[in-house]
Amino acid sequence: MDLLISLVINGLATGMLIFLLAAGLTLIFGLMDVLNFAHGGLFVWGAYTGVVTYAYTESFLIGIVVSILTGIILGFIMEKLIITPVYGNHVQQILITLGFMLVLQEMIKVAFGPNAIPVTVPSYLAGSWEIGEVIVIKYRVFIIVVGFIIFGIFHYILTRTKIGLIVRAGVINKEMVQALGINIKRVFLFVFMTGASLAALGGMLMAPYSGSIYAEMGMEFAILGFIVVVIGGMGSFSGSLLAAILVGLAGSFMAYYVPYLSLAVNMILMAIVLIFRPQGLFSMIRREST
Amino acid sequence: MNQPALLSKQNIIFAILLVVLVAFPFVADSRTLTILLTQIFIFGILAMSYDILLGYTGIVSFGHAMFFGIGAYSTAIMLKEIQPTIPVFIGSIVVGMVLAGILSFFVGLLTLRLKSHFFAMLTLAISGLLLVVAEKWRSVTKGNDGFTFRAPDVFKDRIVFYFCVLACLVIVFLILRRFVNSPLGRVLIAIRENEQRTRSLGFKTLHYKVISSIVAGVIASLAGSLYAISLRFVNTSMMTMDITLDALLMTIIGGVGTLVGPLVGSVVIEFAQHYLSGLARDYPIFERWIIFFGIIYILAVVFFPKGIVGSILTKISKWKQRDQVPLPESKERSK
Amino acid sequence: MENLLKLHNIHTHIGQYHILQGIDFEAKEGEVSVLLGRNGAGKTTTLKTIMGLTPASSGAVHYLNQDITKKPTYDIANLGIGYVPENQGIFGQLTVEENLKVAIRKETPEIMEKQEYVLNLFPDLKKFWKKAGGNLSGGQKQMLAMARAFVNDSKLLLIDEPSKGLAPIVIEKVMEAIVEMKKQTTIVLVEQNFLMASNIGDTYTLIDDGRTVRSGEMSELIQNDELKQKYLGIG
Repeated sequence: MDLLISLVINGLATGMLIFLLAAGLTLIFGLMDVLNFAHGGLFVWGAYTGVVTYAYTESFLIGIVVSILTGIILGFIMEKLIITPVYGNHVQQILITLGFMLVLQEMIKVAFGPNAIPVTVPSYLAGSWEIGEVIVIKYRVFIIVVGFIIFGIFHYILTRTKIGLIVRAGVINKEMVQALGINIKRVFLFVFMTGASLAALGGMLMAPYSGSIYAEMGMEFAILGFIVVVIGGMGSFSGSLLAAILVGLAGSFMAYYVPYLSLAVNMILMAIVLIFRPQGLFSMIRREST
Repeated sequence: MNQPALLSKQNIIFAILLVVLVAFPFVADSRTLTILLTQIFIFGILAMSYDILLGYTGIVSFGHAMFFGIGAYSTAIMLKEIQPTIPVFIGSIVVGMVLAGILSFFVGLLTLRLKSHFFAMLTLAISGLLLVVAEKWRSVTKGNDGFTFRAPDVFKDRIVFYFCVLACLVIVFLILRRFVNSPLGRVLIAIRENEQRTRSLGFKTLHYKVISSIVAGVIASLAGSLYAISLRFVNTSMMTMDITLDALLMTIIGGVGTLVGPLVGSVVIEFAQHYLSGLARDYPIFERWIIFFGIIYILAVVFFPKGIVGSILTKISKWKQRDQVPLPESKERSK
Repeated sequence: MENLLKLHNIHTHIGQYHILQGIDFEAKEGEVSVLLGRNGAGKTTTLKTIMGLTPASSGAVHYLNQDITKKPTYDIANLGIGYVPENQGIFGQLTVEENLKVAIRKETPEIMEKQEYVLNLFPDLKKFWKKAGGNLSGGQKQMLAMARAFVNDSKLLLIDEPSKGLAPIVIEKVMEAIVEMKKQTTIVLVEQNFLMASNIGDTYTLIDDGRTVRSGEMSELIQNDELKQKYLGIG
């Protein structure tokens, strides 16, 4: 029983981190028809800038703020310089975002050195609770809570505000949104920057969880993010949460019971979904909830 | 482009280049340069195979390294387990090619129906999966540690191997040039330009795309076999994304859809990698030489989507056109 | 009366295709101007070019005495042009309420009043206020699309084939609504259904192969059987 609970908590925490990455990916894809292969670069840049700030100021909170700011700024630059010139051309989009990913990843090594940097959990989040026989690590719970709060905020924005309404309408029909007098490019930029900031935040939260950060983790997590986006259904925000939790749980249980299958399982899951149900497993849920 | 005549300008240039490359080992006695050129040829073959996908069919695959890896492992395993002789080596190339062909057939059939984004991701996933399999299947692959093996004795002479690889390069180039200029190649180009229209003209585009991916996969496997021999070592890093990225960089920077472009790209990148890593001892920034290529690559995608060779060819054809302005057009203008 | 909208020698390319090859067209304030022509003549593209969705490659679109040829779509919409596309462009997963809300720029009292007016015009929309747009019937979708284009105090409505795929009784309702809306706005209508077009149109413009071939008063066209035969295949 205690094992079960700790595996669930583990899976949920990982799932939340993937969710932060995938939420931006899925919205950007749904709205702009752009699959951003450089999204992992935002994740890793968020982690590095946040961790360095955290080490320097000794304030985890300031680190988080800085990582989010990094995401916003990089998102702005990326959208303007990398994405805008290749709107509508899928092959070029794939090529250019992948190239930018490469540059971002190597720039990390230039700016912060090629070696992994150790990160510690801030003291007030360190340690664990003992509930009966179950040991619950505080930081994992923290990640889960933050993840659900973020989901709540964005779910509210998407379903209850005008900008959210415009984003949802844009996912369905961009041309019509423009014909109703809305500058869709500005909405694109807004969504892109928001998605970038979430990815950066994900990277920062990831850092103390895994204990160290390294340049390649961006691509590794981005692949999980792609898997989640595919399983959850491109453009579906709620779908990406469910899929992220699924992938997180699958990863945590597999890593315990059949370790050599843990990554493979998610890959196979994605391949099956892509082949048999390219619109995503949870695309029905999206239709009902909106 | 018409079927090039035997004595066309293009062929003459190629022939001169070939003579230079054949003469090279006899003239210049540089071991490093011979090895570097061998490496360039091998990656040239890989990049050309990638160009069949990207340049001629217009699909972006992130899984190309798996075919390279299959070739490398086929050769390494067979030479180690059977015996390091030439017949086994040739046999291993064939085995690698057949395996790669079968795999690319099934992968293509599964993935090529999908749109570009999904295709790219699925190839990423499948090659990731294969990498995991290779890493876990340690009894055969020895995982990331890899294993060394003995190459056939003739290849101990670097120059013999140099000629062997050069011959492969020339043969592959000629075959692929034939292929892209054939009616089949025309259909592939039509798919690249507008898949929907090609389909509405009655072509089963999926079939053609699968053929393209088989050709690319088989050639990539050959490159992998040669690469394994050149290192006398093999490990799972030969199936990673990095290999695919190398092929991608070479193809884009050299020029997609030209076949010669990827070769030029291979020259540029291998030389740069070699010399920039040399510079890195004094200037650490050059350790990250890939950044420069990343930036050049991004600029190329946006501003010179045709790459080095493509841009030059466009310049030449424009220049030629200016020389011989067709008369009717000039009449029109004077009206 | 003033020309609200004027197209002069419009050429539009879509990809490599030269779709519009010289469209001249005017819409006078307060009238219903109908674009007529065979399938594929370029009527829909003409509307899209006015909206800036398929921008003209040459020629000029003037609206309220300003050149809007090169303006982006959202600017054009914000100048008071409402657009009802051929497939209605309903956001299927959004409710009727949300569909209207996307269009409303600012919830001012006047606009809310206008919304009330529109909803009285189309009582069905009020009835299915919380229903997803995709679940409406064809006629209701048409009404929602028209309401959405109209709600922002639009000075000009571009409506693309409102009768397409609708039952005759529904077409009747749509026609009534257009006649009612005409009291407050100018309308450019693309219509294949000649009966409907001739009933509510004031002027006509005939388009063939991407060119304007003739325009004039609707009454004149109704009597000209030769013209109808030649370009519309009727009469």
